[in-house]
This record gives sequence, structure tokens and C-alpha cells, in this order.
Amino acid sequence: MSIRVLTNWNYVAAMLVMVAIAGCVEAESEPPPFRLDMMQVSANQLVPQHQEAIANIMDAMFGTPDEPFVLPETGLDLRKLKMAAGPTWSDETGTKHGLYRRHCAHCHGITGGGDGPTAMILNPYPRDYRPGIFKFKSTFNPNEPTDEDLHQVLMNGVPGTSMPSFSVLPPDEVAALLEYVKYLSMRGQMETALINYVVDNIDYDSVTGEAAPLDIVNDPDQREEVMSLLVDDVVAKWHEAAEFVVLPEESEIPPNKRSASELAASVTAGRALFYGTKANCVKCHGPTGLGDGQQDDYDNWSKAVKKFEDDTIALQASIKTDKSSLAELEGEEYESAKAELAAKYRELAERQRVAEGLLPPRNAIPRNLRNNMFRGGRRPLDLFRRIHQGIAGTPMPAGGPTAPGAQGTLTEEEMWQIVDYIRSLPFEPASQPLMRPLNMEAVVN
Amino acid sequence: MFVYRQTSSGGACPVGTMCRIPIFKASSAVVTATIALATFSLAGCGSRIDFGPVANAKAASEIRTVLVAGAEAEGPADSDLASTGTGWATIRGRFEFGGTPPEMKPYNVSKDQATCAPGGKVPLQETLVVDSSTMGIKDIAIYLREAGRVHESAQPGSDAVLFDQKVCVFLSHVCAVTVGQTLDIENSDDVGHNTNIAGKKNTFNQTIPAGQTIAYRVQKEEATPAPVNCSIHPWMIAYLLPRENAYYAVTAKDGSFEIANLPAGEELEIQVWHESATGPGGALIVTTPEAKSLGWNNKGRISIKLQPDEVKEIKITVPASAFKG
Repeated sequence: MSIRVLTNWNYVAAMLVMVAIAGCVEAESEPPPFRLDMMQVSANQLVPQHQEAIANIMDAMFGTPDEPFVLPETGLDLRKLKMAAGPTWSDETGTKHGLYRRHCAHCHGITGGGDGPTAMILNPYPRDYRPGIFKFKSTFNPNEPTDEDLHQVLMNGVPGTSMPSFSVLPPDEVAALLEYVKYLSMRGQMETALINYVVDNIDYDSVTGEAAPLDIVNDPDQREEVMSLLVDDVVAKWHEAAEFVVLPEESEIPPNKRSASELAASVTAGRALFYGTKANCVKCHGPTGLGDGQQDDYDNWSKAVKKFEDDTIALQASIKTDKSSLAELEGEEYESAKAELAAKYRELAERQRVAEGLLPPRNAIPRNLRNNMFRGGRRPLDLFRRIHQGIAGTPMPAGGPTAPGAQGTLTEEEMWQIVDYIRSLPFEPASQPLMRPLNMEAVVN
Repeated sequence: MFVYRQTSSGGACPVGTMCRIPIFKASSAVVTATIALATFSLAGCGSRIDFGPVANAKAASEIRTVLVAGAEAEGPADSDLASTGTGWATIRGRFEFGGTPPEMKPYNVSKDQATCAPGGKVPLQETLVVDSSTMGIKDIAIYLREAGRVHESAQPGSDAVLFDQKVCVFLSHVCAVTVGQTLDIENSDDVGHNTNIAGKKNTFNQTIPAGQTIAYRVQKEEATPAPVNCSIHPWMIAYLLPRENAYYAVTAKDGSFEIANLPAGEELEIQVWHESATGPGGALIVTTPEAKSLGWNNKGRISIKLQPDEVKEIKITVPASAFKG
């Protein structure tokens, strides 16, 4: 080995680093755009013309990451959004701008897709805001969270995850971030609504690329329908959230001061429910409460990716079948089968490209109830709400009624008993082996 | 802040400076470069997800102008289908499988064997059920997209619909209901289930204790059937189709169906869906000449206009290539 070899190695390394940095600097000089959810685009085989039309409508309704915009129908506060949006900087008065990119975007991504640069190495993955589903909230399972719910998550963080508390930020900055999260959620929901609208109502042919227009400037009917998607399907759910808060019956809330025997009776009843087939907690959280029961299911986000991947594999299989049956055809049939096969190849290539950028699906692992760490908060009320409504977007089912006036499975008394048992679990030995009698000789001597 | 490495000559070599042991130097330089590259690719430079269309500022601003102005000027909606025509008509028929009927694999029963696979007998999946004697395809959903008029017999129902599960299988694999109808979700097993309906408009996930029934009121119309799962037994799958009116049918074992009292004299667009169909969202796309005569399109829809009191019979042979796998 000689010095010359060394120099070459250094040179190569330096060049590699330079190339990497140069690429990034260039990329960062352009303001980051909002991107479409290419998984949905690809799954529905949207033609380029519709993809562009959707991107344009989204921009018209919500602006860009640097220049947010909202229609008055959303009820969102543009002043707050502007504080949160854009590049990170401070003005001469020390006021901070670009709060979302300063605090959130590295995990949650520019579009709020939960796909920021750090997302892949985090477990759990950062929340993808776009479906508008939030786990830790006070409302009925299918309803959107209230501002107070999102505020609580921002203040407390999510224990046991990478989500920190932002309670050190001034209140106006927290309020701006909260508004921006709602903005990204509504934006994501609107994008999905638009994609579904095109799939359901507008003709297009992904093989030829031919399509009827999505043009809300010149087609007033389309404009009306698209506005109705925003107002009636997306915004209304956020505005009515506060009417769907689950309030426990005052009379069923256990009093603060209970005797040891009262508490013990409640814990025992809760334990019986935990292991019984009515509440059925044991099936997923496991006989030891370590979360080691049923672990095969997925949350909504991973389930969607899993489905996309499975469909891609099925497409690959069908290409194989089509290819082998191609030889038996002739004439016109052969030509059309060949064209179909070519279209399937194109779809497969696009799907594979999209799949590469997706976060690999992970199983939803039930909470370990023994480490005294509860993601949605550990107050009795927090635990009660998790049991009452389950956890939206996850396999965790509701024990209570999932809409006002609906039929629940458990009574509120039973749910509070489970709360008591869950709260006692971290301090109960995982197993209770018989104590060995003390070696009295050793003690005496 | 240097990291020192012990070299064979006894000296310490700070990483990133010249070093007497070439192999160390070389590998550390490569490691540095690799880490740098890995970091930058993680940091989203030339990111994996940065593709797809970006809005055109000019087009977007044009749309925004119209939206902002439209919000003030626009009147109420008048998009309801004009009800033309009088009388009622029926459509009925059969779906047959063109090919060798696929063999259904057993479910992947991984829990509660005693209940879910009694005596070691594992129930078969229902992803594509073809009756070998009639070649009929079961569980195809056929439903009218929009109705100008709705006959008395197709008005939303008020009776409860049983949605049972036994041996860890949903007994109605594809279940159509009208909005506002109550689904009596029953658990006929001796183990607990939970029923997780993950629709675009309807979501529900509740514990269903062994031997009990929980009522769920269906909230909104869905454009395509919503998947229904059990998280405790994740192999369990069914589909729920809530519609505004009862102009729907699900094919029976022999592939037959009937939708009665459809509005005659108007353009009807009827969606055909199957869980394993290759079309977007499960749209069943058939391109045979008989299908084309019904105006079958690439969204899995047929377009027809019926005469009063007409009974339209259709028989469709669906080629195997219309299904996944």
C-alpha cells in the first residue's frame, strides 16, 4: 500500500460527499411543492391530465407550502397558517416564521404525509395527517378531533414515541402549528375526495390516456360538486367535532377517595372483564398484558400500503398468466391482448416506483400495559376514552357506543373497572410464583 | 474532536487525517462517504417520493378566482336527475365464469383453532366463489348508481339486517343494505370478535362479545362496498354496501340476480363489482361482445334504458382474466 492509494481513496470519498451535498443544495433552492398521494393516484390509474387538474384544484383551494391559502368556508385562520408555513427564519423582532418546517416537517413531511426524511427510521412512524384520522382524542371514533384534543397532543407529546412535547413554545406558536395540522388534514382529505370524485364520476382510460375533462372553471356542475366535497364532506366534519365529544356519565365516574377494599373490588371486576369474552382485552394485549397477543393486524395507514403492495404482486401474477396465454391467440384478439399486456406492464412499473417510496407496512402491536406509558395520556379519563371509543385508525375496538345513542358493548361502570385494572397492571407482577419460605436459619444467624 | 485509533506501529491516528496504516485510512474514508451519502439520501435530497405532478400556478390562480367569486354568486344545487319516463321495469340475469373454476384456499387460521377450525377443518376463503355445476359466480354486487325515481318497494328499509359470524367467518360475505337500516352484528361463536367496518364514509369498530348481538345503524352511502374485518382474527373478511335505495342485488350461488321495479324510460347506469375484479376499486370489467352491447365501460358499469314493464334478461360470461391472480 502506498500514499498514492490513500490519496485516491480520499479523493473518491471527497467527490462522493461533494456530489451528495451539491445535489441537495440545488434541490433546496427551489421551494418544496405539495405532492399528490401517488399511492392513491397509481392505485386508481389516474391519467396525467386528471393528476394535473387535481394538483391545480388543490393549489387553488389550499395554496403552496410557502404561500398557504384557504377559502372562508374552511373556517381556518390564514394569519396563523402563514406563521406556520414557509421557510424557517426569524425577523428583527425575533418573531419566528416557518414553524412547521422548523418543528414538524422533518418527521411529518411537507405535505403532512408522515413521510418526512426521518420517518423511515422511527417506530411508530410519524402520523400521516392526510386521512384526518387522529388516535388520541375525546370524540366518537369516526369523528374528527377537537382543537383541544390536538392541543393536548402538542402539549404532552405522545409518550413512548418520537413525538415530543411542544409546551415550551409560546402559545401563539402552538396555536399556529395546531391550525396548520388541521389545514394539512383538510387538504389531504380534500385530495382523497377529489380522487374518488374522478374515479366515480369522470370517464378516463388509463390505457389510451384519453379522458373527459375535470375543469371546474368551465363546468359549473363540476364546480358545485367539488365545492360540496370540500364544504359538506371535509370541512363540516371538523366544524361539528365539538358536538361529538364523549362525556362520561357523572354518576359513573369513580370518586377520588375510595377505600382500599372498594378499589380492590373494582380492580378485580376489571381483571375479570379483561380476561373475559365480553371485553376481550386479553386477545390482543395478551394474558400477561405485555401486548403480545394478536399482533398480525395493521393500522389503517399500513393496511393501505399493504393492500397496494398485495395488489402489485397480484398484477405481477396476472401479467405472467396473460403472457403465457398470449401464444394461443391470433389476429385481432392477439393484438388487443398484447395492448392490454403492455398497459399492465406500464402499470406495474409505475406501481413499483411508487411502492419504493412508501413506508414498509408494520403490524399494529397492541400496547404493552405494564410499562405505565400510555400514548394518549395516563389520566383515568384518557384511558376511559381509549376503552370507550377504541383508537381510531387502529385495530383497537370500542367498548362503548360508537355514535351518540348507539348500542355499546360495555357499561360505563365496566369501562371504569377496566381503567382501574389497567392502572394497577404496571405494578402487578407478571406472574405470581409461590414465595419460597424464608431460610430461617440464615436469617437467625 | 477526533476519534483515535490504535495503529500497529503503536501511534494513534485521528480519523480523517493521514495515517500510517493505509487500510484503516481507506476504509474510514469510504465509511465517511457512505455515511454522508446515506444521511443525504435519508434527508430527502432527490427524495424517493418527490415525483408526480406539481400545480401550475397560472391554472391554479384561474381556478381560485372562480372559486372565490363562485362562493358568493352560486345558487342552490339543481343537479338532481330530472325524472323522465313512467312505469317500472326489472333487470335480471346470471353471471357465469368462463374458465376453470379456481380452487379456494383455506383461511390462514392462526388463533382460536378450536372455534375457528373445529376438528382441524379450516373454512375456505371466498375471494372468488364459482359453483362447479352451474359455473355461477357468487357475491357479485350489482347496483344502480343514481335513480331519478324510486319505487315504493326500493325505498330505504327500516327492518334490521342480520350480519352473523360463525366459525370465525362472516356469514354474509357481501351484504347490501340501505342507509339508515340497522345491521344486527351477531357473534355466534364462543370467542369474542370485533367488527371493523372501514368504509370511505362509514367507519365502525366495536367489540362483539361471544353469543351477543350489537346493533349498528348504517350512516352514509358508499360508492363501492366497504371492507369489514375482525382485528382479533385478521383473516375474517366481508364487504358491506350501504346504498340510498334498494336498487341492488348480490349474486347467489348460481350467479343469478334480480333488481325489480327500476324506473323505466330513463338512462340507468348500473355498477358491477366483485372483490377480486381487476378494475379500480373492484370494478368488474367485461369486454366481451355481449357486455359491449350493454354499454359496459371501463368503470365496470352498464348503461341501459328500459321500457315500462320490461323484464330485461342478461347473461354474462366473465372471462377469468377479469379477476386478480
